[in-house]
Amino acid sequence: MSAGTHDHAPLDLSANCMETLRHLWDYLDDQMTPAGAERLRAHIASCESCSRYEDFQERFLAKVSQIRADLGAPASLREKLAEKLKEQGCGCWGSVKSEKR
Amino acid sequence: MTTAAFDVEPRTPALPGDATRDFEFERDALPWIDDVYRFALSLTRDESDADDVVQETYLRAYRSWHTFIPGTDCRRWLFTICRNVFLRSRERQRPTVDLEDGEQDAVAAGSVYAAARENGYDDIYARVDLAPALQEALDELSEPFRSAVVLVDVEDMTYESAADVMGVPIGTVRSRLFRGRRLLQEKLLTVAQDLGFVPASAPSAPAGAR
Repeated sequence: MSAGTHDHAPLDLSANCMETLRHLWDYLDDQMTPAGAERLRAHIASCESCSRYEDFQERFLAKVSQIRADLGAPASLREKLAEKLKEQGCGCWGSVKSEKR
Repeated sequence: MTTAAFDVEPRTPALPGDATRDFEFERDALPWIDDVYRFALSLTRDESDADDVVQETYLRAYRSWHTFIPGTDCRRWLFTICRNVFLRSRERQRPTVDLEDGEQDAVAAGSVYAAARENGYDDIYARVDLAPALQEALDELSEPFRSAVVLVDVEDMTYESAADVMGVPIGTVRSRLFRGRRLLQEKLLTVAQDLGFVPASAPSAPAGAR
């Protein structure tokens, strides 16, 4: 599998734009070397389409981080688990039922 | 208050009624029930199965509390147990993933974006309540891409922690994560098209016109 299997992107991208495309997620995940991150940051700041692409990916990641954000263990599960821990002689089984938030 | 000294010495299994274990377990493990439940649910995709996995996870954690190293990341430890419990319940049908350079997926995501723009959907995350579609798309992702996205993007773990939970090198987390993200974006774009989301601005050309 190499070049040619996907029609990835318009061909008029500069080398800097290609680098952004390849490494934007590394950049957003804070996985790049300081020098690499700085290079990307400088290019994005000066390139409108890369800047829009960064916005797009940041919004995507923000949405994903919200998935089931307000979901917690159901009360019925806490009840069952508390019972089982009690059977094991666990002294703090009562705390299982109290919710964190 | 018990402190350190345990950091290097292996601890011996606690006996029933061990007050120290109960104290530590309550302080370090119990606060993560909601997180473990969410992770279990994302793995099993079934509430009742998730219940079982969470209970088994916490029982194992309690019985093996002496193997937890005080002061380390208890949530990471619980997630590791949780994933192992889940995999065991699936009779070790570990999916195999071909070695894939994450960059291909990163670049492919760029073309998803290009397609989104062409359809006028590039503001899709800003305008539309995508939460239900996104959750569904995540649930449809196959393992181990789902775990990678859940651990890093939903549960906000570092690559290192996720690698520990999944028992793989950090580079593998990266490639699985990137694949997962790319697949999610493709699914979302499809959903947007199928639902006929109205673009903010008129699209310049119909999708796939050429």
